[in-house]
Amino acid sequence: MVAVKETVDTVAELERYKYGFTSDVEQEFAPKGLNTDIVRFISEKKGEPEWMLEWRLAAYERWLAMEEPTWAAVKYDPVDYQDLYYYAAPKTKEGPKSLDEVDPELLEIYAKLGIPLKEQEVLAGVQGAPKVAVDAVFDSVSVVTTFKEELAKVGVIFMPISEALREYPDLVRKYLGTVVPVSDNYFAALNSAVFSDGSFVYIPPGVRCPMELSTYFRINASQTGQFERTLIIADKGSYVSYLEGCTAPMRDENQLHAAVVEIVALDDAEVKYSTVQNWYPGDAEGKGGIYNFVTKRADCRGDRSKVSWTQVETGSAVTWKYPSCILKGEESSGEFYSIAITNGHQQADTGTKMIHLGKNSKSRIIAKAVSAGKSDSTYRGLVSVHPKATGVRNFTQCDSLLIGKECGSHTIPYIEAKNGSAQMEHEATTTRLSEDQLFYAQQRGLSEEEAVALLVNGFVRDVLQELPMEFAVEAQKLVAISLEGSVG
Amino acid sequence: MLKIDNLHASVEDNAILKGLSLQVPAGEVHAIMGPNGAGKSTLGNTIAGRPDYEVLQGSVTWNGLDLVELDPAARAAAGVFLSFQYPVEIPGVPGLTFVRTAMNAQRRQRGEDEISAPAFLKQVKEAAKNLKMDFDMLKRPLNVGFSGGEKKRMEILQMAMLEPSLLILDETDSGLDIDALRIVSEGVNALRRADRSMLVITHYQRLLDYIKPDKVHVLVAGRIVASGGPELAHELEAEGYDKYLPNAA
Amino acid sequence: MNAIARFDLNNAATYPSRRVEAWKYSDLARILRETPKLSATTDIKGSGPFAALGGEVLSLANGHGSIDYSAADQVTVQVRLVSDAESTGHTARVSIKTQAGAKLLLLESHEGRGDYVAHNRIDIDVAAGAEVTRIVLIDEPELAVSVTEAEVNLAAGAKYRQTVLTTGARLQRFETRLAHHAHGADARMDGLYLLKGARHTDLTSVVDHLEAHGTTGQLTKGVARETSRGVFQGKIVVQRGADGTDARMAHNALIDGERAEIDAKPELIIYADEVQCAHGNTVGTLDEAALFYMQARGITAEEARALLTEAFLNEVVDRIEQDDVREVVTQWLTARL
Repeated sequence: MVAVKETVDTVAELERYKYGFTSDVEQEFAPKGLNTDIVRFISEKKGEPEWMLEWRLAAYERWLAMEEPTWAAVKYDPVDYQDLYYYAAPKTKEGPKSLDEVDPELLEIYAKLGIPLKEQEVLAGVQGAPKVAVDAVFDSVSVVTTFKEELAKVGVIFMPISEALREYPDLVRKYLGTVVPVSDNYFAALNSAVFSDGSFVYIPPGVRCPMELSTYFRINASQTGQFERTLIIADKGSYVSYLEGCTAPMRDENQLHAAVVEIVALDDAEVKYSTVQNWYPGDAEGKGGIYNFVTKRADCRGDRSKVSWTQVETGSAVTWKYPSCILKGEESSGEFYSIAITNGHQQADTGTKMIHLGKNSKSRIIAKAVSAGKSDSTYRGLVSVHPKATGVRNFTQCDSLLIGKECGSHTIPYIEAKNGSAQMEHEATTTRLSEDQLFYAQQRGLSEEEAVALLVNGFVRDVLQELPMEFAVEAQKLVAISLEGSVG
Repeated sequence: MLKIDNLHASVEDNAILKGLSLQVPAGEVHAIMGPNGAGKSTLGNTIAGRPDYEVLQGSVTWNGLDLVELDPAARAAAGVFLSFQYPVEIPGVPGLTFVRTAMNAQRRQRGEDEISAPAFLKQVKEAAKNLKMDFDMLKRPLNVGFSGGEKKRMEILQMAMLEPSLLILDETDSGLDIDALRIVSEGVNALRRADRSMLVITHYQRLLDYIKPDKVHVLVAGRIVASGGPELAHELEAEGYDKYLPNAA
Repeated sequence: MNAIARFDLNNAATYPSRRVEAWKYSDLARILRETPKLSATTDIKGSGPFAALGGEVLSLANGHGSIDYSAADQVTVQVRLVSDAESTGHTARVSIKTQAGAKLLLLESHEGRGDYVAHNRIDIDVAAGAEVTRIVLIDEPELAVSVTEAEVNLAAGAKYRQTVLTTGARLQRFETRLAHHAHGADARMDGLYLLKGARHTDLTSVVDHLEAHGTTGQLTKGVARETSRGVFQGKIVVQRGADGTDARMAHNALIDGERAEIDAKPELIIYADEVQCAHGNTVGTLDEAALFYMQARGITAEEARALLTEAFLNEVVDRIEQDDVREVVTQWLTARL
């Protein structure tokens, strides 16, 4: 796989990290390890209000009392939480000075994805690139300004959460941690204690956000770090489409990623959240990849509110992720569309939870898993209908595709109906990539890799269609690239 | 010219073709007829390079090019087109996408430019019209839920689009009613050209009323046991294959 | 991760709670807090639900004694597990073996009276080329607690057919662990539950495909009325190398009562290539339009419900291959609608 070389570099870099971090320190940073002083340090650095510090400290206390979950069908080397940097890790190695110094295989992927040169610099971590990149991505600073002006005109707030904590503390305080409580799970507690930044979005009542909001805009402006925190509030009757991540493999030195995303949808509000995740999957032996332990949850607290999660997960060594919807509002609706592609030694345990509390709430789950190489993929999901939720409807479809003899693919759904009027339907299939289909496509002139890419894209089509147009086109290419070397 | 010389081929260790020799000159249409299990479909699949169809001995060349060493995609790019007896369903991939992907894949292999979207659309609409196919059918996932006749029409449409030089029709008449058979045959006949060769594999003479062969070969137990003109097909229709069977008197 | 000692009625420490993943929906530890006293033996009355079908009859009363049976040729055997006790518990042990090529019709009935705790441990070995059809009718009182654990081992080319029908109990678990130990075995494991009151049943199965070209088909259908709770847990594991496995599982349930509950966990754990596996799960309610239509034609609401429920459940009974057995099972079911 193309990512191999790149990961070898990362490993080499991490090695250097270990032995040479004392020299050449550019930034102020907190020492390794986690304790109340570090939490205080982070809060102070961010200029947070006192209540926020209290909140973080409480989360830290909870985290100390918790145990790392082991129920997911993933295996990984234990994380030494005292051996991590929680704030602005020191830079031990200068980034490449230009694209000439970047791994040519990485550039090849960028080329295949059709990423413009300037963006490639950002992704590859070329020195000084971010400032340039903002210009490149959005054409010029004026575009960024226009974009901000346009959002401000309709009252949409879209900014780093650290900034929102200073500018809109009441708004943040009202909603932060109300969807994912600090004690929700081990990684959410950790994130609550130490998150450094993330996005804050507020869409005022009745406003249809005039553009798709993308983390892309923000990541380029500042380093996000490994503990990202996102809070999206869609007020009554509003609509927003939010894009997270990008198709290109990003250089990232943090092995552990434990993000939290909270979405609140009030009456008649609609949020569409799309993710493309393509972090380092690790090398040929499965070493060095990212551990991606994410908690994403939407609270459809308003009547007729709607949240739709769409994810394309192709990266990371280990993924542990269940974007969920709490369907509290009457006639609220939750959707989960997922493509999880694992190759090499990747492991993914992902799925969703749809908790039906509101009358006539609906949910729809379409999950497609493709496992190749020696990878392992699990769909784990829960659909539950509570006693008072009458008229609930759910439809779930989980399909798995196996490529090769050494991969694993598992489907573990939980279906809990406590109300007599529920209508729930769940279907799951597991099949191998059909040799008849492969030969048919090859007979018409497609190479084996092209044929695999075509067939897999066909397999995941229902989900690709849920992505915003330009994202979908990139994701389609990504599907093909992720499976390179999986056959033959 | 298609030249097959002393071809021995096996499928999962079962020897099926046992010294088959055959030549189809450019511009000619040859029919392969034979009883069930004679190796008719194996011949088509072996020429196209289906995995698990192993050539043990002998050679297959197309215009001097040794096909045996090539992967299926390279054979396709060299002009080999196998119309499948049972065309495969490909969920999630619209017929249009499939045909265009195949066209461009072949063009790339031949070092040609990819076809532009408007040119492709114009060409495919024309082809669909000729085959009396509803254009909307091409927007649906390839062959999924299609009737037998629709699938065969889709094969002929791909043939018309990809413009192969060696056409192998494997039991194209199976599962077709008389109207579909006529439309499909007309489609095939429209593709007859001085620089194209066709191999029509069939169990019944019926198809050959529509696609008139220059020569008819009888395939029994993995070998060509008789060859002749179109009249041979009628003879087989009337008398069956009995006299060619190994244990016949 | 959830490794616990195997359930042993004589040791309360082994009683699983809902924190044990495999017992998530059947919290045995909650209702069974201490080891029950051992049941005394009891008289076996009547002739059991399969009397009309003949064959040798083997009975266990309150678990006293044990059954060890080996089948050769074509044979019918009735196994009656009879419980009659108040607040005491017992463990019954049954071992069924078949010789190669044997064809066994195993008619198993769980009959009970009282508020006993029954634990049934059943081992069934199906030899190469042998065929076993196991029909289980479970009729237990609403205060009883029972756990049945069956281990079924299939040799090469073995054929196994299982149909379980139950009306539940206070807490009832019926677990079948079936292993395809050799290639080309063929298993069908069906279940049916019809629950009312506050009854609970838990049909759990683990099917392990260890060798290639095995086939498994599972269909479970159930109806939960009033405040009852139906649990279906089906796990199909296809181990590395078990290529060519074809495994299909379906669970369809109706909730017929505002406070009834259905919990389902159909799992596919797959490590092999060339497999075809599928599971389907539906939870719904009786078709209101059909109910109304029937009532408009003069059928009482009660009758209409029974008719629709029967129509829904019959698919399971229809899969029983032997006409006379199907007849007996149909009558058993009809009497309980």
